[in-house]
Amino acid sequence: MFATKANTTEVGPIRQIGGKWLMLSLGIMGSMLTLMSAAIAEDDGNDVTNYTVKDGKVDQATYDGYEAYTRVCQACHGPDGLGSSFAPSLMEISETRTLGEFVATVANGQEIQPGKVMPSFADDQYVMNNVNNIYRYMKARAAGDVGRGRPDVIGDGDDKEASDSDSDQAE
Amino acid sequence: MLREFSYAIAAIGLAVSAQAHANENLLELQENPEYWATQLGNYQGNRYSELDQINRDNVDELRAQWQFSTGVLRGHEGGPLYVGDGKLYIHTPFPNKVFALDLEDEGRVVWTHEPNQDSRVIPVMCCDTVNRGLAYADGRLFIGQADNTLVALDSESGEVLWEAENGDHTKGETNTMSPLVVGDKVIMGISGGEFGVRGHMTAYNVETGEQEWRAYSNGPDEDVKIDPEETLMLGEPIGEEDLGETTWPDDEWKRGGGAPWGWVTYDPELDLIYYGTGNPGTWNPDQRAIDGEPADNKWAITVFARDPDTGEAKWVYQKVPFDEWDYDGVNENQLIDVEIDGEQRKGLAIIDRTGFGFLLDRENGELLVAEKFAPETNWASHYDMETGRPVVNEEYSTFRQGVDVNTTDICPTAMGAKNMQPSAYSPETGLLYAGINRICMNYEPYETEYTAGQPYVGATLTMMPAPQEDEENGMEGRMGSFIAWDPVKGEKAWEIDERFAVWSGALATAGDLAFYGTLEGYLKAVDIETGEELWRFKTPSGIIGNVNTFQYEGKQYIAVLSGVGGWAGIGLAAGLEDPEEGLGAVGAFAALDDYTKLGGVLTVFALPDA
Repeated sequence: MFATKANTTEVGPIRQIGGKWLMLSLGIMGSMLTLMSAAIAEDDGNDVTNYTVKDGKVDQATYDGYEAYTRVCQACHGPDGLGSSFAPSLMEISETRTLGEFVATVANGQEIQPGKVMPSFADDQYVMNNVNNIYRYMKARAAGDVGRGRPDVIGDGDDKEASDSDSDQAE
Repeated sequence: MLREFSYAIAAIGLAVSAQAHANENLLELQENPEYWATQLGNYQGNRYSELDQINRDNVDELRAQWQFSTGVLRGHEGGPLYVGDGKLYIHTPFPNKVFALDLEDEGRVVWTHEPNQDSRVIPVMCCDTVNRGLAYADGRLFIGQADNTLVALDSESGEVLWEAENGDHTKGETNTMSPLVVGDKVIMGISGGEFGVRGHMTAYNVETGEQEWRAYSNGPDEDVKIDPEETLMLGEPIGEEDLGETTWPDDEWKRGGGAPWGWVTYDPELDLIYYGTGNPGTWNPDQRAIDGEPADNKWAITVFARDPDTGEAKWVYQKVPFDEWDYDGVNENQLIDVEIDGEQRKGLAIIDRTGFGFLLDRENGELLVAEKFAPETNWASHYDMETGRPVVNEEYSTFRQGVDVNTTDICPTAMGAKNMQPSAYSPETGLLYAGINRICMNYEPYETEYTAGQPYVGATLTMMPAPQEDEENGMEGRMGSFIAWDPVKGEKAWEIDERFAVWSGALATAGDLAFYGTLEGYLKAVDIETGEELWRFKTPSGIIGNVNTFQYEGKQYIAVLSGVGGWAGIGLAAGLEDPEEGLGAVGAFAALDDYTKLGGVLTVFALPDA
């Protein structure tokens, strides 16, 4: 369990995120939301980044991360976490930022330089519910354990595996 | 002193200008082949120049004369304007700087305009902070800023003459398109199709910026400016009332998209403007169905012909009723005069996002030709010429396949077989020239909720290169091409394969040349009759801008903005997966990021002095 201290005038709502509790503190500085703090309480020793890959298939949370990434993040950050001409690779970001930092950026957004802006997703329930999963999927991608494209989920379609040419591809 | 002086001129302009002054001025400029006064070269959108100093025989001598860095890193769409005053006018993506460059002095900066915009507009620009360029008429330049401010600048000084609010970014509205001046009005659309905006086209007074009319793309007839007894559809009056409301479930039309963010063309004789509207609201077709059946979602993906003075719709043609693939119908409507079955027709040609090349009668909207220019196109087998409707292939219907089902191998991709990059038309060859995309997609709709200012997409999309046409001459490893298209016969005259989608606007000239740029950054000149490459130059970054030409002091110039970005930069930077390699494959098609990096630069070319 860790927490960062908030030096802000306003404390945001407490949200449940992927089984973890996240306290968001949104600070208003000038007319912009700025990153102030994000505190994450781990409820047990089960690290959210502890993904499972088995025979090329992934656990449900990692799959949910793929899906959330593809629905929401891909439009700027490019396919499969690889980055684009518009926004950086989240695979690379996940290697240099802690989960707490990652969640805080997604929640608060940021302006890196004039004209380079990441929006705040604090009000987007779907994104906030899946931010841990997105991080988990990115960790798996960065480690090379999950390849490009839509991964299969462990346990899904095992009975028809022989007839499914895609499902047994290993990384 | 200069400042007061220019305001004085502006005030005089306000007092004495005749109503149609701007229009006459712009028509005059367009008729002079030495100028390039509108983004598409003329009102008809032909991107054709009668200049022939640079031609088939000497183009291999073409040299870069000077370059100018815009200092902006994002995708540079649009191109430079030249109106005969010795200055080249260019613009940039957000923050939408405008530069007047001195042609006498190799691009010395005469003036700069840099607006102070709220950067919170950036996250609601779906596919990069692009801007498709300036418009000019009668001493004024017009630009639609990202933050929805339409600005008129004094072209001599760069001073702001007026500003008008064209939209609200907190609802997801932004500006990316180039305005067009018609008569005493500046015509301007809106972007935001991925945010559930309600699309609109608006006319502002050229002198004052006052709003003159606004026509929505959906909702009741009154808002769309349709008269069901008068407005034609396939040559007949529409008949039914309020189809822009009744072809949607509940109030879905209120977030029904139809954003017109592409190009506007104009026929001065018929006195009609033409433009197309974008995708209908959410990408999840299930949320746009009525009682579980497809609904037309009018008037998304529709060509509108309107009276520029009143906004009234003369005719409509919906290219894709009930979109299931995000096939925005915004591509330019090329106004061309054609002979068809021995008869002279006033035609309107579209190389469309859907993979089909259309030819319509621009007087009444009658559909004359609809043929595939991208052979991999599979979402529809063909168009029923009686009903004007596509015959949809159920296998690639994301609605029939269902919500949370990944419909695979649909061609073309949502980017379209051709996106907004404007085509060229040569009246000498009768052919259209266009850069196209050879990319397919998987598309999975999902239930999404509308929140103002948040993305309202409702589908996941992954892309892959189009399948090979044949082993010998096919498309292997190629994601784009440059084509010459016969709009009457509905067939390709020739095609040049390219490694990446071709995302630049084309140029055709009387010098028997066609020009286009590539995403790697090459500017290429090809023989207009055969497609044979005659010349190329590597600019510093990928080209998604338009190639323009003009003549200054007896010398013909070619000018283009390079600076990779846009949807192409987002989708192709990392490369696409090879569909043959299966899941989790490491092998991907060429990554754009391996060929080019960001950075806006204007390059100006001419033949060396004799």
